[in-house]
Amino acid sequence: MIKKRIYGKAAAILMSVVLLAGCAPGKQDGTAGDDRQTDGTAMVNRTAQDQTASGDTAGGTNGAKDSVIVAMGPNSEPESGFNPAYGWGAGEHVHEPLIQSTLTVTTTDLRIDYDLATDMQVSEDGMTWTVRIRDDVSFTDGEPLTAEDVAFTYNTVKESSSVNDFTMLKEAVAADDTTVEFHMEKPYSIWPYTMAIVGIMPEHAYGPDYGEHPIGSGRYIMKQWDKGQQIIFEANPDYYGEAPKMKQVTVVFMDEDAAYAAAMAGQVDLAYTAASYSDQTIEGYQLLSFETVDNRGFNLPAVPASTDADGNAVGNDFTGDVRVRRAINIGIDRKEMIDNVLNGHGTEAYSICDKMPWYNDEAQVSYDPEQAAALLDEAGWLTGSDGIREKEGVRAELNILYSSGDSVRQALAADTQNQLKKLGIDASIEGVGWDTAYTRAQAEPLMWGWGAHTPMELYNIYHTLEGKSAEYSPYSNETVDRYMDEALAATTLEDSYELWKKAQWDGTTGVTQEGDIPWIWLCNIDHLYWANENLHVADQKLHPHGHGWSIVNNVDQWYWE
Amino acid sequence: MKHLNGRMAAVFLFGLAVLFLAAVTAAGWGFEEEALVTDFSRKNLEPCGQYLFGTDWLGRDMFIRTLTGLSMSIRIGLLAAGVSSVLALILGTLAATMGKTVDGVITWLIDLVMGIPHILLLILISYALGKGFKGVVIGVALTHWTSLARVIRGEVLQLKEALFIRTAQKLGATKFEIVWKHMLPHLFPQFLVGLILTFPHAILHEASITFLGFGLPPEQPAIGIILSESMKYLAMGRWWLALFPGLLLVFTVVLFDVAGESLRRLLDPGSAHR
Repeated sequence: MIKKRIYGKAAAILMSVVLLAGCAPGKQDGTAGDDRQTDGTAMVNRTAQDQTASGDTAGGTNGAKDSVIVAMGPNSEPESGFNPAYGWGAGEHVHEPLIQSTLTVTTTDLRIDYDLATDMQVSEDGMTWTVRIRDDVSFTDGEPLTAEDVAFTYNTVKESSSVNDFTMLKEAVAADDTTVEFHMEKPYSIWPYTMAIVGIMPEHAYGPDYGEHPIGSGRYIMKQWDKGQQIIFEANPDYYGEAPKMKQVTVVFMDEDAAYAAAMAGQVDLAYTAASYSDQTIEGYQLLSFETVDNRGFNLPAVPASTDADGNAVGNDFTGDVRVRRAINIGIDRKEMIDNVLNGHGTEAYSICDKMPWYNDEAQVSYDPEQAAALLDEAGWLTGSDGIREKEGVRAELNILYSSGDSVRQALAADTQNQLKKLGIDASIEGVGWDTAYTRAQAEPLMWGWGAHTPMELYNIYHTLEGKSAEYSPYSNETVDRYMDEALAATTLEDSYELWKKAQWDGTTGVTQEGDIPWIWLCNIDHLYWANENLHVADQKLHPHGHGWSIVNNVDQWYWE
Repeated sequence: MKHLNGRMAAVFLFGLAVLFLAAVTAAGWGFEEEALVTDFSRKNLEPCGQYLFGTDWLGRDMFIRTLTGLSMSIRIGLLAAGVSSVLALILGTLAATMGKTVDGVITWLIDLVMGIPHILLLILISYALGKGFKGVVIGVALTHWTSLARVIRGEVLQLKEALFIRTAQKLGATKFEIVWKHMLPHLFPQFLVGLILTFPHAILHEASITFLGFGLPPEQPAIGIILSESMKYLAMGRWWLALFPGLLLVFTVVLFDVAGESLRRLLDPGSAHR
């Protein structure tokens, strides 16, 4: 009996290995065999043909295709639907909400422009924002969009948002049909960046199922959502701005390898992909690469080791020495790391906000292993008999954590490990789940990913929590805190940019190489896509963290050649 | 093989299997450090003379990784199967000798554990214990004792009626003395065969739950990790990442089975004379 069962199991494993090995061509069939999806695809094409057949009404595009199918990762599917209060657009990964309009928008150079707003003003003390909005905008159900709806939206997100911070807002009030006033709890100069991600919802059509049946005034209408598979958007015919060139956008959700296979089978027009696929080629497709502020880096706990009230380890005796942190920052060859791990598809990162208007380029350093060694020597960490540095009998050891299952972060951690070994630091790497990662990062370096279209990221990383240290890695510097507080209290965005820059480095202190350097930034990961050769994808602004919806921020401007 | 009679062939096979498994275990042990080494200058290489099983996307030598992974699996298998078999021996004997109530409870326990699919219970136990080496070993040990416990219980029930046991009882030997002196020697062959046949189960289950992400941590060179990582790269044509580790896992499991089967033939009175 037992014997038979074991041979059975062995045979099953062997079979699955054979099956797996044969998966490269098989996978395409698998995707193609997904009935609904094929149907969906067929339907999309048919609709496109119908539209072009009745071409005159479709805007006379003269027979050109005006629909597109985009493949994104399964995590991009919004769990709670298209409700800004539960993270649509205004969540962990920010993007334009497409279905809804926003008051402001971020431009390609990440400054602020208007969408619904026509004018905005902030009071002297920074406690009241007054925004005037357009009076010619309607929701797709025909009702006009008024300041009441804006106030309602903001009060709703403040009350219910669990993914984004709205604690700076006290309340939003509609002064008249086209004027809305935001009363703040504290001055918040970068409020326009928040206004760029909150989609305006209709008060009259809001309910618990709004996320699944969203109504907005944006460029697209959500037509159909097959959960776990696809979402179909159609252009809003009454859109107040320039009419979208792409009349229909279908977003399908699949894993990296399935997306690759779908592109190979010609089933999608644009598919997200990762650097590990970049040496492949797909006939009829080109590899599009967009620069990002989707950075990867690790924290170095900047205080000596101790234990907090809950018994968790906090701080690290090795990285508690600023000279060690400086040595690591210049002892890492970012260029080599990008070539090794990302096949060259990335840019060197020196801060959490590279190339943003609030980035201080003093953060940039050049690779200098000699200087790094000198710094470590100066700090008393001298090379021991086995090539690893020691100080008073303690070995220079570092355990770098990464979130298990993320192969890019694992590879970055592994490359960091190799490079640190050259400096005489004995590093190890360990995969952890997010359930323990936050706590453990208080004492050990963790490979993080950040990057958003708001200076608030700087605040979240470096600003001291009340009476304690910074949230994600122990660190605190009063001067840095003060600059950021002043930046939030500034009356104009331009002034605030300068103060955010000073928070990074003001000439004497900061968070850069010559300052406290509590975080080491490694690279910004280019976002890669397989795109049909004939598809013209409009220029992208720097993508934030999250390889998802950002790509379709301007899908209305894409067209077929 | 033709010159060998059944018994000699069994000894030969048993020796070969044990030798191979011991060699893999020892080799893997020695390569533990090397299996973690990443070197981006040699990433994604196909199998060649220098790297028999190729390298992965971090430039790790898959031959060394596979050996270490197998070695790790075998060690986990040994430990888990050992604990599991001892558990089965104790519970099986207790059930048969300690009276109706104890028998009822233990039989119920056996049915309970058998009633839940192995893999589910394993995941649950491993996850509750924080995964990792400890979680896997305890998980496998606590789920694999049931069939052997049943076999041993049946054997002891039979032995209880044997003349020499009854004589010992009449001579006033205590229950413990009877079990220890008279029953255990008789149970030993059953126990040994059961133990060896539990190994392959333990190894496969270790690989399965690690593959599913509930077992060993991801930087460990374990077969389950190697196989689950390789999935992503198959679409890119990196077949060697899955093929060799998969084949070796199957080979190891079959070898354990051969060893157990040969041992049974040597010890089983029905076939020992062949």
